[in-house]
Amino acid sequence: MRSSPKERTSEVGTPRQGLPLFTAICVLIGTLVVIQLWLLAAALDALLGGHTAVLFPAAAASAVLFLVNAGLLLHALNFDRRLRDRDHDAGA
Amino acid sequence: MAAPQDEKPVPRWREDFPIAWERDHYISRRELVKFLTLGSALLAGMSVLVAVVGRWFLRRPREGPSVPIGKASEIPPGGSLLFRYPTDDDPCILLRARDGKLRAYSQVCTHLSCAVIHRPQRDRLFCPCHQGWFDAASGSPTGGPPTRRLPRIRLRAEGDEIFAEGKDL
Repeated sequence: MRSSPKERTSEVGTPRQGLPLFTAICVLIGTLVVIQLWLLAAALDALLGGHTAVLFPAAAASAVLFLVNAGLLLHALNFDRRLRDRDHDAGA
Repeated sequence: MAAPQDEKPVPRWREDFPIAWERDHYISRRELVKFLTLGSALLAGMSVLVAVVGRWFLRRPREGPSVPIGKASEIPPGGSLLFRYPTDDDPCILLRARDGKLRAYSQVCTHLSCAVIHRPQRDRLFCPCHQGWFDAASGSPTGGPPTRRLPRIRLRAEGDEIFAEGKDL
């Protein structure tokens, strides 16, 4: 069953929602990147200090943060794509 | 409405450089998000690289020449002996810790490369430059600015003779 335009707007979101969404995602990803930088600096310090036991947990944590960042990016790109598709449907 | 007569024709080079100067440094939030995610991937990759290097490359002790550095009987409990290993530019210290075992470390402080000295009363090594302390049993920093442990010199005993045989980072 085809949903009404109002329902579809609430599902997809609006361009006005895109601005705070991308701002929030920017802040989130920026924060996680700073944490990754700290992890890398700590891992390098541990490497030079001979504390190799912490290196793999630090790498795993950094990889998890990257996956979170990639998920946020995909969510943002999907948001854009859905908006484009909706505009395309409305134009057609 | 007709175009004004004094409007300049678009030069041919503009086709190859369609972006106006004002827009040249403009970065949208979307581009910033992509850029940050790319940076995140690079950081994660570098962290994995550091872990791999630490696990499979740097944990191996550095082999060195076998060099006699002194006699065990000459070092009483709490005593120490300075020597150089593996080259004359690498000062080291051999000490008998409180537990009676002989241990040897690089004498170069891991903070700013001052020479550390043995403090047998506290069973520690002391860096007088910035009040750094290291544990005599492990070489790990216990106080002051140093955050990395002293490189350990591997020892081998042949009778009473002590040999230095390598350096663990």
